[in-house]
Amino acid sequence: MLIFSVFKTLTDQQVTVELKNDLSITGVLKSVDQFLNIRLDNITVLDETRHPHMMAVKNCFIRGSVVRYVQLPAEHVDTQLLEDATRREAQTQTKR
Amino acid sequence: MDESPPPPDVQSPPPPPPSHTGSPTDFLKGVVGKKVIVRLNSGVDYRGILSCLDGYMNIALEQTEEHVEGKITNRYGDAFIRGNNVLYISAAEEL
Amino acid sequence: MDVSSTGIQEPFDLIRLSLSERVFVKLRGDREMTGILHAYDGHMNLILSDVEETIMIVSEGEQQATVNVAKRKMDMLFVRGDGVILVSPPSRT
Repeated sequence: MLIFSVFKTLTDQQVTVELKNDLSITGVLKSVDQFLNIRLDNITVLDETRHPHMMAVKNCFIRGSVVRYVQLPAEHVDTQLLEDATRREAQTQTKR
Repeated sequence: MDESPPPPDVQSPPPPPPSHTGSPTDFLKGVVGKKVIVRLNSGVDYRGILSCLDGYMNIALEQTEEHVEGKITNRYGDAFIRGNNVLYISAAEEL
Repeated sequence: MDVSSTGIQEPFDLIRLSLSERVFVKLRGDREMTGILHAYDGHMNLILSDVEETIMIVSEGEQQATVNVAKRKMDMLFVRGDGVILVSPPSRT
């Protein structure tokens, strides 16, 4: 839930999603859900010559499970806030 | 005849069974704090002291050595291993 | 329920104590990275900053396999938990 919230705060920011098949897609994060499925707008693919079939694609929906990494805009991530929120969530998880 | 009387404890509960008859859970409880070998699905071994583990078999190890094909490839003071990668946990010393 | 400097109750305590520290992460696909840990969850999804990733590229030669490494740096990175094999905090020595 915590990571989901982080992604929600980053909507309308530019991110780069690297998939498990090595395809890297940069675009504007339009939405995210609890599975960390991601909708990207205005996309470009890192190595277009290797993926010519992607050149005409302007937006996409990425299933969360195929994501390896997402590069985030560091200037829009409050790391102190993240650490505090993570400690809080860890506490609630432990009290099972 | 110096036959001593039968020991009085015949009706007291039996001693705890040897660890090899216990359930998997008993085994895991028994190896916490002991030297273990954790083998991953990839075939890589981690040898270290088992600090603790949880229901997903996530594992915390101390003084860990990473062994690949019999050679030490890394050492970690502490290591968290994500449970889905674990093939088995083996006791590396007497329980 | 006091967590002494060495005593940890569950594996995730190890990770919690590494927040804001540089950690080493071993991933599927012959990848490793170090980065400063800012967030994690129960799936081991991670958010790291100042990341250096190392990819081991093994090419099988005629006689023996050669390993090439590729490195790259990223400012702020989300790592999906299902790729994580191992996380190691900085050695507290």
